[in-house]
Amino acid sequence: MTAARPSPRALHRLAAAAGAVLIGAGLSAAIAAPAAAEAGVGYVRLAHLSPDTPPVDVYVDDLGGKMKGLKFDAVPYGVMSDYLSVPPGTYAVSMRKVGADPKSKPVLTESVTVTEGSAHTVAGTGRFAELGLSVIDDDITAPPSGEAKIRVLQASVRSPVLDIRTKGGQEVGTGLKFATTSDYRGVKPGNWTLDLTPQSGTAAEATCTLAGGTTYSLLVLDGKNGLTTDLKVDAKAGEITPQGGVETGAGGTSDGGTIALVTGLGLVALAGVVGVGAVGLRRRARRTW
Amino acid sequence: MPARRSTALGLTLTALTLCAAAGTSLGLAAGEASAPPPAARWHVGCGVACAQPVEAEVIDPLAALPPPSEVRIPRVAIRSSLVGLDLDSKGELEAPVDYAKAGWYEQGTLPGEPGPAVIAGHVDSYRGPAVFYRLRELRPGDTVEVRRGDTWLPFRVVATGHYPKDKFPTTRVYGATPGSELRLITCGGEFDRSRRSYRDNVVVYAVDARLPEVPRTSKGHGPTEW
Repeated sequence: MTAARPSPRALHRLAAAAGAVLIGAGLSAAIAAPAAAEAGVGYVRLAHLSPDTPPVDVYVDDLGGKMKGLKFDAVPYGVMSDYLSVPPGTYAVSMRKVGADPKSKPVLTESVTVTEGSAHTVAGTGRFAELGLSVIDDDITAPPSGEAKIRVLQASVRSPVLDIRTKGGQEVGTGLKFATTSDYRGVKPGNWTLDLTPQSGTAAEATCTLAGGTTYSLLVLDGKNGLTTDLKVDAKAGEITPQGGVETGAGGTSDGGTIALVTGLGLVALAGVVGVGAVGLRRRARRTW
Repeated sequence: MPARRSTALGLTLTALTLCAAAGTSLGLAAGEASAPPPAARWHVGCGVACAQPVEAEVIDPLAALPPPSEVRIPRVAIRSSLVGLDLDSKGELEAPVDYAKAGWYEQGTLPGEPGPAVIAGHVDSYRGPAVFYRLRELRPGDTVEVRRGDTWLPFRVVATGHYPKDKFPTTRVYGATPGSELRLITCGGEFDRSRRSYRDNVVVYAVDARLPEVPRTSKGHGPTEW
């Protein structure tokens, strides 16, 4: 009866395979210093700010073909979307009549180039007769500490020029014209009432809460009964941001540095021994059997 | 000027109402702090209507959800409940006391809200691997989920960074972002035995993986039909 002994050839193969695996492991342990991968994203959001234009279907298409196209149905006047994160590249934003064939010629189309860390608002602006798609660059840098930042997207055609200041007198914007965007201004954080004073027509008072470290866009809109407003966050950080790194390790697996190198070289050496052993085994095998 | 036009329409005698606070007075209205006794006053600007009160508050669709309680990263078999983290006296983020648990920075951003929410965990303990040992394996495209209440919020890894702690890019990691983002932080690189500290931090950058919300209702009043 023959015992189930591994054949010499199988032993040889096993030894060679073990050697190869060890060489692989040794090398990777010695080299494994993960490279930093910094691709990142940019941001786009969409808005319908044309008071006399009916709702539109909005499309976002990646001209580079990396991202699947998106469609937002029946977006009415006064609406601004949340931000969409996208890989850096160039995107086409198009507006079509509600329910129009996606292959039909859009009412409007505009391209927007997004770089890592940039943010843009693509908005349908102006009266319907001269409707255009504007690419508005959003400032996402944090305001100075202890401040908030705010700007105005003026989309009221019934109050085509207006001033905005907080009760207490901080100016938010003056002479703001329909279909324009004001520069960002620093304001003190807190609960505010904003006086919206048009050159003609009824004034409005908007209550809002502005948080420190946050950048805002205030939409000024024609509402059902006169002026109305909506507030959007352009960028936000925590109220108190940490400084520097974090101590998140006690060293129990510290094989990233010298130890890894030693271990790695050790494994390579071991692999060499096993490899030599395999050769020896083969030689001996020839001699004996 | 609206004031002059209103004057032309005829000065309106009004009792002291909210309109006095609305602002377009002829300098007769006293400051809000020292409200005079109710008295008849010459007051213009409210002849037709007072300033329309409107709201301009940011709407947080996740406001009803509780703070984050758990993180999971299926591809690298990480799953942990979350403890709360604070800053130390130097202003640096504290690490979780428990090596087996990750923590979130409570004074920072809530995951799912605009801004960079921060989650940190140890790479190892004194004995061996800890909760974020495999964090370094994450690559762009991987999914990280954070639980708030019964909702798992998905994030997509977009980048990883490996920084010496003395050159930690504070603004890049903790600075303002337009969308909801996530930072997962642990240690890496060489272990400095004399200082009993890893030289580097590994930072995983992730962004909101949900499609952006387009509000269903609008405050604006425009035509509804083509």
